[in-house]
Amino acid sequence: MSGLARTATVALAIARKDAVAELRGKHATTSTLFFAAVVLLLFGFALGPDTRRLAEAAPGLLWLAIVFAGLLAVGRLHLVETDDGALEQLALYPVDRRAIYAGKAVSGLAAMLILGIVLLGVVAVLYGIDLAGAWPALVLTLVLGCIGFAAVGTFYAGVTVRMRAREVMLPLLMLPVIAPLLLAAVKATAAALAGDPFGELAAWLQLLAGYDLVMLIAGGATYGFLLEE
Amino acid sequence: MPLTTIYVAPPFGSPDKPIPAVSTVELARLFGRSAALAGVSLRVETGRAVALLGPNGAGKTTLLRILSTAIRPSFGTAEVDGLDVGRQADAVRRRIAYLSHANGLYDDLTALENLRFAARLLDVPAAEVDSRLRAALADVGLTPVGDQRVAGFSAGMRKRLALGRLLLSPHSLVLLDEPHAALDEDGMALVDDLIRRWHDAGITVLVASHAAERLAPLLDGRIRLDGGLVTAIEGDGVTLNDTPAPAARAIPAGATTP
Repeated sequence: MSGLARTATVALAIARKDAVAELRGKHATTSTLFFAAVVLLLFGFALGPDTRRLAEAAPGLLWLAIVFAGLLAVGRLHLVETDDGALEQLALYPVDRRAIYAGKAVSGLAAMLILGIVLLGVVAVLYGIDLAGAWPALVLTLVLGCIGFAAVGTFYAGVTVRMRAREVMLPLLMLPVIAPLLLAAVKATAAALAGDPFGELAAWLQLLAGYDLVMLIAGGATYGFLLEE
Repeated sequence: MPLTTIYVAPPFGSPDKPIPAVSTVELARLFGRSAALAGVSLRVETGRAVALLGPNGAGKTTLLRILSTAIRPSFGTAEVDGLDVGRQADAVRRRIAYLSHANGLYDDLTALENLRFAARLLDVPAAEVDSRLRAALADVGLTPVGDQRVAGFSAGMRKRLALGRLLLSPHSLVLLDEPHAALDEDGMALVDDLIRRWHDAGITVLVASHAAERLAPLLDGRIRLDGGLVTAIEGDGVTLNDTPAPAARAIPAGATTP
């Protein structure tokens, strides 16, 4: 089997394993979704009943909810590896470390996309936003934003998984790094919802794509060191 | 009645020019300022079954973990079949099987799914995956619970499943850390039988254990460790490594042994 095919096989095996475990264990998926929906509801209370104000703030609130829920999701995906020494066992298989990173990143991406799509619907309902017409640009923004988040989140979940204070350390280390992603994703979402009146959408999407590429390469190149003691 | 074929990774050496299965020179590992291994120079011949004996904290697990590539040495070198465990870690991983204290299983997957996942990552040929994992499951006595989730397994059943994983792919060196722990009499007999079968197939077996008497009839040699140092070697297949150290012993002053 060629190197690339083997890497893909291993990555998919890891992602599939994570998906089966997650669906069967129903660990985080449902509760994370409820958590994010409650966050969006509370943002609504905090900003008051002014629908115009809510609609203006919606892109930022959506991405904050995705970030909070995503932190829980990527952290949880590494936590399953700590039960019964699974992470050490994973590191002992004769596989390219980039394949392990890719597998965990694909799992993270799948979780993030499910979260993102559901939360987009929640935002539309709670804040009274019409998504019709903006769908293609919104989905593209969501996909690019979630790829970047999964790329960074997988790396930092690997950094913090052996730490005792990992629940605090993961957001503390990760949030500054995803600040550019959050900015670009919010701007792109706002542009998409407004019908891109200033023609800025493409530039924000390009920034997101560039960010994703850099983070995926950096994560793949360095994740292997995290598996060693 | 064993069902599984023992898959052997052929040795690199030749009869007139053998390469030792394990060779360490001044091998040391520090955790903080405490040295779990404090300069171990050993050579284990290919195809031998050797016990690592010694009290708790002697360095048995640390030695096995370094040879398995799970942790890196702080000082000195360790080679498996002539391959450096640090620089050629991937090649070493293709030749070793390691049973550690933790079983490395996923609670939400069934026993078969855990083995299938391992088979994928161990690069078992797709056509053989099903037959190999069913045979491995039968060998460790878990066929009736193959479709049950590991979350409901006892400690002994988990250990059996982890042993089953060692049967899926070819090896030249098997590292076992307290393999009898958590097992009932049948399970312990299963471990003894597996050690015998690996040995008969020409695979080197290094087993850290407190069950010295139980293992005695299965073994060629014994290594006694204490305080991170070799205190004695006995029997066949084990020698102290007389290869000169690449550099002077580099344990920093002040490092203590447990």
